[in-house]
Amino acid sequence: MNPSLLLTLPLLLPLYGAVLCLLFWQRNQAQAVIAATVQLGLSISAGLLLYEVSQTGILTTQIGKWPAPFGITLVSDLFSALILVSASIVGIAVFLFSLQGLDSKRKKYGYYPLLLFLQMGVSGVCLTGDIFNLYVWFEVLLICCFALLALGGTKAQLEGTLKYVTINIFASGILLTGVGVVYSLYGSLNIAELALIVRQPDHPNLQLLTLCSVFFLTGFGIKSAIFPLFFWLPASYHTPPIAISAFIAGLISKIGIYTLIRLFTLVFIPKANFMLPMLLLLSALTMVIGVIGAAAQKDFRKILSFHIISQIGYMLMGLAIYTPLALAGSIYFIIHNILVKTNLFLVSGVVAQQHHTFSLKKLGGIYLKQPFLALLFLLSALALAGIPPLSGFWGKFMLAMGGFKAGNYGIVATSLCVSLVTLFSMTKIWNEVFWKAKPLKVSKPSGAIPAKSRYPKFLYMPVIFLMVFILLISLYAQPFINLAQQAANQLLYTNSYIEAVLKR
Amino acid sequence: MKTIILSTAIRLLTPVFLLFSVYILLRGHNHPGGGFIGGLIGSIAFVFHVLAHGANATARVFFSLTLYHHPRQSGHSRTRYFMQIMNANIRGRRKGRNMENRWNYIFVRVRPVYLIAFGLLLAVASGTIGLLAGQPFMSAFWLDVHLPVLGSLGTPLLFDAGVYLLVMGMVLKMIFTMSKE
Repeated sequence: MNPSLLLTLPLLLPLYGAVLCLLFWQRNQAQAVIAATVQLGLSISAGLLLYEVSQTGILTTQIGKWPAPFGITLVSDLFSALILVSASIVGIAVFLFSLQGLDSKRKKYGYYPLLLFLQMGVSGVCLTGDIFNLYVWFEVLLICCFALLALGGTKAQLEGTLKYVTINIFASGILLTGVGVVYSLYGSLNIAELALIVRQPDHPNLQLLTLCSVFFLTGFGIKSAIFPLFFWLPASYHTPPIAISAFIAGLISKIGIYTLIRLFTLVFIPKANFMLPMLLLLSALTMVIGVIGAAAQKDFRKILSFHIISQIGYMLMGLAIYTPLALAGSIYFIIHNILVKTNLFLVSGVVAQQHHTFSLKKLGGIYLKQPFLALLFLLSALALAGIPPLSGFWGKFMLAMGGFKAGNYGIVATSLCVSLVTLFSMTKIWNEVFWKAKPLKVSKPSGAIPAKSRYPKFLYMPVIFLMVFILLISLYAQPFINLAQQAANQLLYTNSYIEAVLKR
Repeated sequence: MKTIILSTAIRLLTPVFLLFSVYILLRGHNHPGGGFIGGLIGSIAFVFHVLAHGANATARVFFSLTLYHHPRQSGHSRTRYFMQIMNANIRGRRKGRNMENRWNYIFVRVRPVYLIAFGLLLAVASGTIGLLAGQPFMSAFWLDVHLPVLGSLGTPLLFDAGVYLLVMGMVLKMIFTMSKE
């Protein structure tokens, strides 16, 4: 197929869908039909893109026929295609959940168009080949997140959104400063051309590259909740309804890590004496802090939110070790985590649908009433903790192998200990929510509870749907690991990327 | 803020603002200007109107339309029926004719959201034309005609018009929401 069509479809489909949803502003049914069509089309086009990229190599298109360093470039290598495919799968699941699991008031105030705009932002971040456009797409994505988090306007939601907005606007300021500094020092914002420039050994401003990279590390680090500035994430992700928080929690912080990996392999080559040890330290601290925070929580979604932080540490670990195997581990882990984390959030939504609370104290006895749901949760939780046949194991295995081969024993030991504590947290949820007897006292509902639905069984659909994909990448892992390894090779041996963008 | 000076001035200035905004939109391709700033200037007219008369009045005057109709009587030809409807909808709008009493009517309201959506649709569609022709997204296509006021016609003009509507819809949405408080 025509590469320009393949590369623009993941942007155009959600955009057209969102515009149509706006035109049918007061008809929720029509919006749902449009969104369903778009989600299906988006996943098909993302799948085609992945197929084409894995067959023919990196695809590029120049928007408006302006040649590469001057115009806007859209690029897709294996890494971005893989993220796009998993994002579209998660999009389908969250859409299915929202059909029964979201109240009609929020649907009326534009849930579907916002979700589609958000997906457009995600596709844009994955496909762009230009740092300034990367920043702009990230803003598109964040503004949709702000609106979605505040949608409905309950008190808790507004409080969470305020924290989210404040810290993210601060991070965007740092990022924009970084973009300006890079442009003034190197005279280009096209990622491929920058990659060429910073590999010239006699460039006068080469010493300042680490300085620039710190701007981006801080900016995207805040947005993906890396160690020192992570506190906004558990403060805001548990407030909105599950149909919103599952998508944001499952996907958005991983997009920050995606951009970090993209930039730190292509442009800001990390120095072995400063940047790599710092990344190692940050990833270790992120893992440990996240998991300790989770151990102290007593709310289903708050535990899951803290675990996002600890898993961000694993993804950063692959970047910090900086070998092809470790990066492949990171890529596989990102895909695994997008699917599994969304699924766990959806399970918590199904539980809250019936029992009207997320608090571990008030829940209980679900194993007896809904054994199938308990099984679905157990599989996802074990996958998250990394128990052998399931997907988390393969990611952690590759990361640990990479760490051992590179001689970074400290980080491997940390990651393995953190895995154990993750297992402890998951067991805590299992014991409290599914295993123990239901507490006798019936309590009042609290927080943002999903809407009552006519077909409660329908909520199992998205969970089962995601579970199929989790089992696929767990039990049939070899092709996906191969893909991840190819993607890591494309990232580390940058010539193919630079040639694909500049030589057309 | 209902003063007679302001409301009189607004009545005179509204067409000026709108004309000037279209001028800015059209010169935008080769000179300073374009859809974004044109949309902002055009929305000034409505902002002032809201200040002088309130949001409800603005929505009633500029963004709503009452369409009159009635069922065709037996013995009237289709042409005659059509002329009657046209007559009612054009000449019937003059003051003093109480059309509402004798005719059925539909109340059409243009919400700012529709302006936003239509603007976005126009802008994206102008880019998609290139894609359909087998070239990269947003490739420009120009017609060979050169009109005296409009300048050259092409897909970038369509894009700018989309941005114009989008910006105008955005400002209107904000103004209408804020003036409700």
